[in-house]
Order: sequence, then structure tokens, then C-alpha cells
Amino acid sequence: MTSLINASNSAGVIITSDTSGNLAIQSGGNTVATITATGANAGIQVASWAAPAFSYYQNGSTTSLPNVSFTKITFDASDFDTTGGMFTSSRFTPTIAGYYQISGAILTSATSGQYFSDIYKNGTAFKRGSMVVGGTSGCQSNVSALVYCNGSSDYIELYAYQNSGSTQTTATGTSFTYLQGVFVRSA
Amino acid sequence: MYEKIIKIYPELTAEDFGRFGTILLQNDSDGKGDYIAKWEHPTLAKPTQEQLAGVQ
Repeated sequence: MTSLINASNSAGVIITSDTSGNLAIQSGGNTVATITATGANAGIQVASWAAPAFSYYQNGSTTSLPNVSFTKITFDASDFDTTGGMFTSSRFTPTIAGYYQISGAILTSATSGQYFSDIYKNGTAFKRGSMVVGGTSGCQSNVSALVYCNGSSDYIELYAYQNSGSTQTTATGTSFTYLQGVFVRSA
Repeated sequence: MYEKIIKIYPELTAEDFGRFGTILLQNDSDGKGDYIAKWEHPTLAKPTQEQLAGVQ
């Protein structure tokens, strides 16, 4: 048994109590969260959580990477985006304060030079990814980081660097050059 | 931008602009091109806009 707090569609808030020590929170009779003090499931279990998540990639447009310059990567397609408009102009500006797991990658077909990708926070490098070297099959640099965002002004972008001696170009494709993120927990 | 700076300061190398370098060039893909985001070289002064504009 479980005590219930139900926000009913017809009768307002309905409270049903028992002596189990457990509490369920319902909306329209559907349980959205349960709170348990003891046992293996102690804690709060959330039935569903509409956490912001996104996955963007380069589909038809590439990014030119000038020699020895940190260049912002732009995206023109998404696998999914549940952020409700937090991702615009290849920039993620979450409106919910908390911790976000961000990952990205850049791929080029370059045969020379060193390459790496950076997660930028508020216009400066926050975490640096793998440094790779151009070769016969090109190269791909990956980066991943847990980033705190304040839910208002903080924003995330993906940048890349290369030093081949000439301008290089990223490769298009959902598995090649991409940026993903998901809300992990609140502040 | 890199080519212009190298012409002003031929003693600089790509390493000065690398992951451990003291100079950081950045391009925000906003159509404005490269710019100097950081200049922490111990002896050389950051080039002025006039110097950069004067380099062919």
C-alpha cells in the first residue's frame, strides 16, 4: 500500500493515506513519482522525466577549419531535439539550471596535421577532447564533459582546432561531426 | 590571420598557436573570420589592427 496525493482532473487534490510509509504522487490518477523511505527502492523514483536532450550533426553543410585557429562547428540537422528551443545557431543555452552531459566529435578527411575538439562554455574552452593526427583515412576527435549551466546565460558550443598548414573541412554525416547533450541532474 | 601574424612576427611558429601556445586564434563561424582571442606571448606585443590591415 501507499499513501497517495492525486491531482485529480475532476475533484481537485485527493489525499489517501495509509501506514505503509510510502508516498505516491499522481496526476490525473497516473503515478508520476513514488517516495520510499526504506528497502531496496528507497528514495524517489520518477516515472517519467522530460529532461532536455539533443543530438545535432552536419548533414549538408560543413565547417571550414582555418589553420591553427579554434573554429566553432555549425550544425544543420538533428537526430532529435527535446529541448524546446534551447539549441539555436549551433549553440545550446539551457533554461534549466543543472548538470549536462555533453559529447561531440569532428571528423575530417585530412591526411596531415593534428586535430582536436573542444567543448566551449560561454565562448572559452572548457574541456578538451582527444588529439588525433590526419592520415589516409582521415581522423576523428571526440570530446565529452559534464558541464554545469546556470539555466540563463551559460551556453555550450563545439569548437575544433587543426594545424595542417592549410584550411581543412569537416565531414558530414550523423556519425561523423556531431554535438549531443542531455540533462543529468538539477543544481 | 595566422599568415598575417607570421609575416609581422616571422619568429613565431605554429607551436605558438597550438594547444599549449600563448596565442589563441578563434573563428566563431559568424562570417567575421578569425580574430585574436588570446595573446599572452612573453615578449611580442599583440599586433594592432593597423599592422594586420597593412599585411598583404
